[in-house]
Amino acid sequence: MKTYIKVALILGSICAVSALLLAFVNQVTEPVIKALASQEEIAALSDVAAGMKIGAKEAVADSDLVKERYSLGNKEGWILKVETNGYGGPISLVASLLNDGSIIAAKVVSSSETPGLGKKSELPGYMDMFIGKGASSQIPTSKDMLSSEDSQAVSGASVTFTAISKALDSASAYVKSIGGR
Amino acid sequence: MNIKEFTKGLFKENPTFIIMLGMCPTLGVTTQVVNALGMGAAVIFVLTFSNILISALKKIIPDCVRIPCYIVVIACFVSIVEMVMHAYLPSVFNALGVYLPLVVVNCIILGRAEAFANKNSVGDSALDGLGMGLGFTMSLTLIALIREVIGAGTITLIPIGSFSGTITIPGLSANPVRVMSLAAGALLLMGLLKAFFQYLQNRKEAR
Repeated sequence: MKTYIKVALILGSICAVSALLLAFVNQVTEPVIKALASQEEIAALSDVAAGMKIGAKEAVADSDLVKERYSLGNKEGWILKVETNGYGGPISLVASLLNDGSIIAAKVVSSSETPGLGKKSELPGYMDMFIGKGASSQIPTSKDMLSSEDSQAVSGASVTFTAISKALDSASAYVKSIGGR
Repeated sequence: MNIKEFTKGLFKENPTFIIMLGMCPTLGVTTQVVNALGMGAAVIFVLTFSNILISALKKIIPDCVRIPCYIVVIACFVSIVEMVMHAYLPSVFNALGVYLPLVVVNCIILGRAEAFANKNSVGDSALDGLGMGLGFTMSLTLIALIREVIGAGTITLIPIGSFSGTITIPGLSANPVRVMSLAAGALLLMGLLKAFFQYLQNRKEAR
């Protein structure tokens, strides 16, 4: 009995010291991380806004993937923040859309995808295959709907591609469902 | 302190090619040179400090709960690296993705704690951690260099000043052997390199 208590105490104190140390490091790094995240979000928003005015942030409750919306320009469209699940965990992306549901621009804000494969979705140019789609032409949600060149670009990272295309598709559907206004 | 504890990790007991520990991150992050360097730096830090701490606590930690104790110590250091990298090196943090938290269960770190740090002095354990970490980084960089050059035709380093961080190799970058940047290429290359190092070792022993 005595040995068990001793063992438990030692393990418990090692855990307690670790927790204290982590709490201290977290105290130092958390504000820096938060500031970085909000900077990145602002940068991503202005990247996809195509020079138009960005409205105030509004929360969206009635959609699976769309989490936030910002009106764009003079009621010409919306910027949506969409969250989906990729290969390595959650992917968060922002997309700007015209009122007819077509995509102006999109950008992955954060993801935990595999470096060199799914992580490529964060590179400029990846979203080119979705731009302009969503109104009269469908957003490609499977590899068969891509040109052979684009389909090569996503090979090795099909899960990431599927997640992003579904996210953009639901963003487009969301804009259509609110009828632009 | 014995300097041999440091040098053995570099070649003679190289964790990747000789002891074959930590294969999962080795195959996972070696798509770009910069990822290998970031992963290596994280492992050097965690391995050295966990070795020092575990060696210092070896008389206190009861034998029956040693593995949970090691894991707590290692996880604590990994979380520190994670938070510090996230705050001050966000690009490397993003590139390492899921592999950074997985350092906790990297067999090299637990392996060295169990096989070395709990039997040896603090100084020797620190040298062992540094050497093993450096050996791991060197192997990772070698694999990443070959995979990136053949698989993508580029060498990605850390951007400094006007240097963008990427060296493009003419010819190869237009027609890369893409399989090398996928998981299958990693396994193929790992097998070939292991065979090569085995050959070198055999030849040395035959002499």
